[in-house]
Amino acid sequence: MDNLELLKKQWQSREQELPRLSYKDIHQMLLKKSSSIVKWIFLISIGELLFWTILAFFVPESSKEINNGIGLKTTFLVINIIHYCIFAVFIYLFYKNYRGIKITDTIKDLMKSILDTRKTVKYFVVYNVAASVLLLIGVNLFYYTKKEQLYQLMVENYEGYASIPPDSFTSVFFVSQLIIGAIFIGLIILFYRIVYGILMKRLSRNYNELEKIEV
Amino acid sequence: MNKELEHSFVTQLEENQNIVHKICRLYTNNSDAHNDLFQEITIQLWKAFPKFRGDSKFSTWMYRVALNTAITLYRKSKRRVRTQDFESVSFKIKSVDYDDTVEEQLKLMYSAVKNLNDIDKALVFLYLEDKSYREISETLGISEVNSRVKMNRIKKKLRTILNP
Repeated sequence: MDNLELLKKQWQSREQELPRLSYKDIHQMLLKKSSSIVKWIFLISIGELLFWTILAFFVPESSKEINNGIGLKTTFLVINIIHYCIFAVFIYLFYKNYRGIKITDTIKDLMKSILDTRKTVKYFVVYNVAASVLLLIGVNLFYYTKKEQLYQLMVENYEGYASIPPDSFTSVFFVSQLIIGAIFIGLIILFYRIVYGILMKRLSRNYNELEKIEV
Repeated sequence: MNKELEHSFVTQLEENQNIVHKICRLYTNNSDAHNDLFQEITIQLWKAFPKFRGDSKFSTWMYRVALNTAITLYRKSKRRVRTQDFESVSFKIKSVDYDDTVEEQLKLMYSAVKNLNDIDKALVFLYLEDKSYREISETLGISEVNSRVKMNRIKKKLRTILNP
């Protein structure tokens, strides 16, 4: 007889040494909190959605004044309206996907709905990073065309800038913009590596395993 | 929370707890992790219970939720524990009809199954539980033909592990 068949025969007929929990033991477990991956993904996703939504409110007053002074007021207003509409769509999609996660689905469907929920949040972050980068480049190009006016506004709004001579202002300003932008994006990528590494590795691997069966 | 519902749930789970224990034993390596997973499965079953309509058997419904939890939802605990490793006791069974060689083979077989990947393990588990290919395919979410093909491949793989 095949070894697996042998195991199967024994699997049912013989008593394995399994623990035995009482009614009380099981009853107590109902009070405990779940620590499932879905819960973590949900909490982290909410955190990300909040982070990007709140971040959008945190533009310092002084920077607003500069942008208003340089003639970007209407442009920013339009950009913000579009931005919040896109946010709303993402948050709706996230909610819809999250509601679709059902433990009673087949293993494959459950995995797919978790991965889809995650994907929505991933696209949300990609959108935010891409939009930030584009905005950063666009605004800086615009600043560059009006660098004299920018220098005047910077000196008025930030005391430190008065000590920088106009000749070196251009390089100091744009290099610091570039460095801050790069650090910011670097941190986001690092965060994703860590979150994905910890939470999603096993799930994606198992999902791929199931996909392979169907090929 | 509805007391009647709670009572009905705990009673049924108590009766069918062996299914959950067997899954925990296949997917974890020590008793702490076993208990953690058992608890997580219990919570997930309880959360889904109000929607359990009884049109399938409680045990059938349990297989799906329990395997889903073990494979997809459960985060392996990183805690180092000194409790005895299951490997040596995983299939300790009192044999009357079989000699030691067969017993040894059974143990080898069990540990080979434990070393399969999460998905293959689920397939073999359902097979050992004597589920039909239709049920296996419905639990995993793959076609019946493919679950049969996959099972044959796993059998072959297990054979080569045991007789290199």
